[in-house]
Amino acid sequence: MHPRTRKALTSIFSDGFLLIYFLFALFPIVWMILVSLKSTNELFTTQFVFTPTLENYQAIIFGDPRAAAGVVARVDFPRNFLNSLIVSSGAVVVSLLVGVPAAYALARYNFKGKDTLAFTFLSFRFAPELVVIIPLSLIYRQLGLYDTYFGIIWVYQLVTLPLLIWVLRSYFEDISPDVEQAAMIDGYPWHQIFMKILLPLVRPGLAAAALLAFVFAWNNFIFPLVLGASNVQTVTVSALGYISSAQAFFNRMAAAAVIASVPQMMLALSIQRYLIRGLSFGAVKG
Amino acid sequence: MAEVRLEHIYKTYKGGVEAVKDLNLTIRNGEFLALLGPSGCGKTSTLRMIVGLEQITAGDLYIGDRRMNDLEPSERNAALAFESYALYPPLTVHDNIAFCLRARQMDPGEIKRRVLEVADMLEIRDILGRKPAELGGGQKQRISLARALVRDPDAFLMDEPLSHLDAAQRAHMRVELKRLHARTGRTTVLVTHDQLEAVAMAERVAVMNFGVLQQVGTFDEIYNHPANEFVAGFIGEPPMNFLECEPTSQDGQTALRATDGSFSVTLPGELRARVEGQKAGRLKLGIRPIDMIAAPKANGNGVVEIAGNVYTYESLGEEGQLAARIGSNEVIVVTSPDVTFERSQPVWLQLRTHRIHLFHGDTGVAL
Repeated sequence: MHPRTRKALTSIFSDGFLLIYFLFALFPIVWMILVSLKSTNELFTTQFVFTPTLENYQAIIFGDPRAAAGVVARVDFPRNFLNSLIVSSGAVVVSLLVGVPAAYALARYNFKGKDTLAFTFLSFRFAPELVVIIPLSLIYRQLGLYDTYFGIIWVYQLVTLPLLIWVLRSYFEDISPDVEQAAMIDGYPWHQIFMKILLPLVRPGLAAAALLAFVFAWNNFIFPLVLGASNVQTVTVSALGYISSAQAFFNRMAAAAVIASVPQMMLALSIQRYLIRGLSFGAVKG
Repeated sequence: MAEVRLEHIYKTYKGGVEAVKDLNLTIRNGEFLALLGPSGCGKTSTLRMIVGLEQITAGDLYIGDRRMNDLEPSERNAALAFESYALYPPLTVHDNIAFCLRARQMDPGEIKRRVLEVADMLEIRDILGRKPAELGGGQKQRISLARALVRDPDAFLMDEPLSHLDAAQRAHMRVELKRLHARTGRTTVLVTHDQLEAVAMAERVAVMNFGVLQQVGTFDEIYNHPANEFVAGFIGEPPMNFLECEPTSQDGQTALRATDGSFSVTLPGELRARVEGQKAGRLKLGIRPIDMIAAPKANGNGVVEIAGNVYTYESLGEEGQLAARIGSNEVIVVTSPDVTFERSQPVWLQLRTHRIHLFHGDTGVAL
């Protein structure tokens, strides 16, 4: 076969494959949007052809008439959405404040137990949450952290911090210490070296890791379910309220999920420039 | 500009590694000195102590009249050009060079003037707007030099500045650096493991090994009068040959006989007197490959000759390199292109006896 023809064929196949994957990946989102536009009557009886309605969105944002009538549980979606925003961004901010210096220290300094410590951080990530949830909930009740923003943000560090530390650590390792020393000789205090030289270099990793951490925190279900109640209820937990013993309002749930996924999508789109480079450059390496 | 003075400097790292031991060295005002030695000899540690990146374990460091031991790197006014260049990737070339001036809150007009001046000196004016990642090794090298020079340092230090350049660029930069030094007249210390670099650029060379300063001097001094066996063997390419000998009496005169009995040589008067004065037991005879003449036949008219066998011979065009076995020793000889040799053929080596170096057999110190 002629090389050029082969090249064209390869390109067609890879494009075709990507297209199929794209449809496959996008389908759940399309389905979710479709369901969110269905009225309760059409929910189980139609697939793609139905009369679209915004009643689900209206209901979850402005209150459900049937909840007022006591048919389904009351779900205060706007409040839950705000809670999700507060705990997720709170968790990411705390992780940044703690994780950036930790990642730097793990990358630069040699101290006893360094690798053990780094591995311990990582193990928080892959230890199943269910293993720790019962003791945690007992501790939280005793400490008075149950159902508080502080408590949820704290426990979210198990989700957000390891990721941030591990991605940023490899970024810091890639920066030659010579550069910092050169800036030291040039007469800069350390915090300025960090702001002017190091931060711009780790920014792609920082953006990508912070975004992923935010997504993981936002999606977390078990921690707010067990360690929180009405005060800090997040959208992931409150979505359960659309399923009552009598009926499952998947259309309401889908509408809530559509709105809940908006912040993540916006964030991902706004920093996708960093996202690919950030994760392929830093995290894959050794 | 200032003199750099190291007095009884020691550097011991955590874990007890002694990188530098009792180093006494004065780099004169305006001098270009090379710190030369194999890797791990303590030369880079010395440099880093001067610039302030490494704590001095013991001893005193002066730049000019100021004692530097406890000053921060930024207070010493010593500039270092790193082996890895250590340019700031987020900044443009211009900002890289201006970075240290901005730290001093210098007037922007003055910064601009000085950056342009040093950029002209290093011929990098056309790349001032670029980022370091877009540039080649030679250009990065120039930027790192410009960055070091722009702040008008008292001492200008360079750590293996040419090691990442290709051969042609290296030769070019050697000339450039020398020109730069002539132009700025700055006290300069170059750290290198490459004797050619050291010799080509520096006025004086300080040879270090195992953290100990072996010898300081001009190239002529260290080449022709090496202080010990290490310096003799380290300087010169191919390296000096060493043959184990002991003094013996021959026709009533002191001569040297090989420990394995394979040869003996008579010595010119001055060397003979030194051997007699030392009353040494074992000695090492050092002779450079270019200070012997190899011939396929004995000459026989009274010159000192050693008989051996050709081990390998390679013709390098302008010269040949011969390895010969003499008893249990192997010596390298640089030969003229007129003669060629075959493996295992007998060979006679004529020694230029006044070019013989003698070292104490145990301590390696020159006689």
